Amino acid sequence: MASESVLEISGLSKTYGAGKMQTLALNRLDLSVHRGEIFGYLGPNGAGKTTTIRLLLDLIRPSSGSARIFGLDTRADSVEIHRRIGFLPGELSLWEGRTGDQIIHYVASVRGDTRGIAKQAGELAEQLDLDTSKRVRDLSSGNKRKLGLVIAMMHSPALLILDEPTGGLDPLVQQTFHEMMDDYRAKGRTVFLSSHVLSEVQAICDRVGILRDGELKAVESVEKITNVEFHWVDVTFRDTLPAGLQQQLESLPSITNISTNGARVRMRMAGDFDPLLRAISSGYVETLHVEEPSLEEIFLAFYSGDEETTI
Amino acid sequence: MNGTVVGNTLRTSWKQILYWGLGLGVLGLYIDFIAMSPDIISGYADLLKSMPPAMLQAFGASDIALLTTAEGWIVSVFVSEAAIFLSVFAVMAGLNITANDEQSGVMDVILSLPISRGAYLLERWIGFALIGLGIVLLCALITVGGLIGMNVDAPQDVILKSILNLYPATLLVMTVTGLLATSLRRRAVAIGAAAAFVVVSYIFNVIGAAASGAIADLMESVSYFSYIHGEAFVTGTYDPVDSVIILVAIVLGFAISLNMFVSRDIGV
Repeated sequence: MASESVLEISGLSKTYGAGKMQTLALNRLDLSVHRGEIFGYLGPNGAGKTTTIRLLLDLIRPSSGSARIFGLDTRADSVEIHRRIGFLPGELSLWEGRTGDQIIHYVASVRGDTRGIAKQAGELAEQLDLDTSKRVRDLSSGNKRKLGLVIAMMHSPALLILDEPTGGLDPLVQQTFHEMMDDYRAKGRTVFLSSHVLSEVQAICDRVGILRDGELKAVESVEKITNVEFHWVDVTFRDTLPAGLQQQLESLPSITNISTNGARVRMRMAGDFDPLLRAISSGYVETLHVEEPSLEEIFLAFYSGDEETTI
Repeated sequence: MNGTVVGNTLRTSWKQILYWGLGLGVLGLYIDFIAMSPDIISGYADLLKSMPPAMLQAFGASDIALLTTAEGWIVSVFVSEAAIFLSVFAVMAGLNITANDEQSGVMDVILSLPISRGAYLLERWIGFALIGLGIVLLCALITVGGLIGMNVDAPQDVILKSILNLYPATLLVMTVTGLLATSLRRRAVAIGAAAAFVVVSYIFNVIGAAASGAIADLMESVSYFSYIHGEAFVTGTYDPVDSVIILVAIVLGFAISLNMFVSRDIGV
C-alpha cells in the first residue's frame, strides 16, 4: 500500500452551541488516511463520527484546526474536492417524489457528465439489485440505501466517504457491498467509512480509528483492534450443574464473570478452550454456545487495559 | 454554475405555474366578468363610499371615482387581491429555496456535489423567480384574454402592465423569506417570520394610506404593498422609482442571504 495521504486532519475541533449550552463534539482530531486503504471510523453514538464527516465535506465549519483532502483545503477548495469524492450520509434523505433514475440523472448533471455516469450507475444498480425506476417514496429503507450507494459511487470517485453504509441492507447485499469495497481497494481508491458493525470492519477495513467523546483514542490495524482474545461462553447441562463445577471454573485464571441459572452457566473466557472443556466434561453438556464480544466490549477492553482481556 | 439546478427546480416545480397561474387567472376572469356590468361596479363603488378610508384601502380602493370605470375596477380589485395570493406563493417559494431541503436533509447530498453554496442558492432563486414569472404571465394572459373574449371596454395594455407590476413585489417577498430561512435556520420559525412580514406590511399599507402624518407616511413607505401601484397605470402616475426601490431591496436581501448561507453550518 502506498503511504501517500489522501486525507490529512490536523487539530480539528468542533463546538456546537454557545455559553452554557456549548458542547464539544470533536476535540483536536489528528488523523491521516492513505491512498488505497479502507479506513474504518468506529465509535459509539455521539462520539463525533458524523461531525468529522460533515466537517470534511464542508457542511459544517470547524471551531479550530483544518483538514486537507488530496492536498486541498476542505474549506477553500470544497468544490474541487467534491468533484473527486463520493458521499453517503448516515441518515440519507432524497427527493421523495422523484424516481431513482431522475435523481441519478440530476446528480450526474451537477457532476457534469450525464452519459458516462449514468452508464456506471446502471451497472452499480444491477450489482446491488436495485430498481431505479421506482419513486424514492416507494423504496424500502434498504433500497434507499442502495440508491445512496449508487449516487456516491457512480462517478468512480478517488475517495469514498460513507457514514454507516450498510445499515438496512440485507446480508446478501452487504456481501456484495464488501466485494465492491475490495474492488475499490484493488483499483487504488480510498474509502473512509464509519460503522458500528464489527463484522463489517473486520471484513473490509485495513485500519481502524476509535473515537469516543469527540477524541480519537486509537488508530490501529484492524487485526489488532478486533483480535480480542475473549469470548462469552454459555453452557447448558442436561439436568443440573455438575457438583463443584462453579469452584472448578473459578479456579481457572482464564474464566471470569461466571453466572449460573439452573442447569446453565455463562462465563467470560480468555485464551484457549481446553481448560474449560476439561472442566465441563464431568457433566452431560446439552448445548455450548460461544459469542464474539460486542464492539462496545472491545472498546472497553481496548480502553481499560484490563489484564483479564488480551488484545 | 451551469444551470442544472435551475433546470431541476423548474422540472420539479413547474406545476406551480399551472396551479397558481390558472387560479389567479380564474379570479381575473371573474373580475373581468363583473367589469362587463357598469351597474354592479357603480353599486360596489356606492357601497365603498360609506366606508372609512382604512376599509377602502383594505378593499384595494383608494379612489372611488376610478372604481366606476372598467379598468379602474379591474386594477384596483384584481391587483390588490392577486398581490395577497402571490405573497402566499412567494413565502412558499422562499422556503423552497433552501429551508425545505435543509430541514429534510437533502441538502447534505446536494452540497456534497461539486457546486458551491453560492451557486446553488443563486440557481434555486432563479428557478423560483422564473416560476413566479410564469405565474404572473399566465394570470395576466388569462385576465387580458378574458377582457378580449368578454368584449370589456378597457385598455388591455394598461391592465397587462398593472398585473406584470406585481412581479417585483412577489420577488421581494420570496427573497425576504429566503433570507429569513437562511438566517433563522428553522423552517417553522422562518414561516412565522415571513407570514408576519406579509401581514404587517399589509396592515402598515392600509393604515398608512388611510391616516396622515409622519408616522403614517413611514408605515406606508416600509410596506411593500404600497409599491404595487395598479391604479397608477390607469391614471398615468406610475413612478418607475418605486420598482427600482423594490429591485434594490431584492438585491440587498439576496446579498445578505447569500452571505449567511455561505458562512454558516448546514443542517445544525
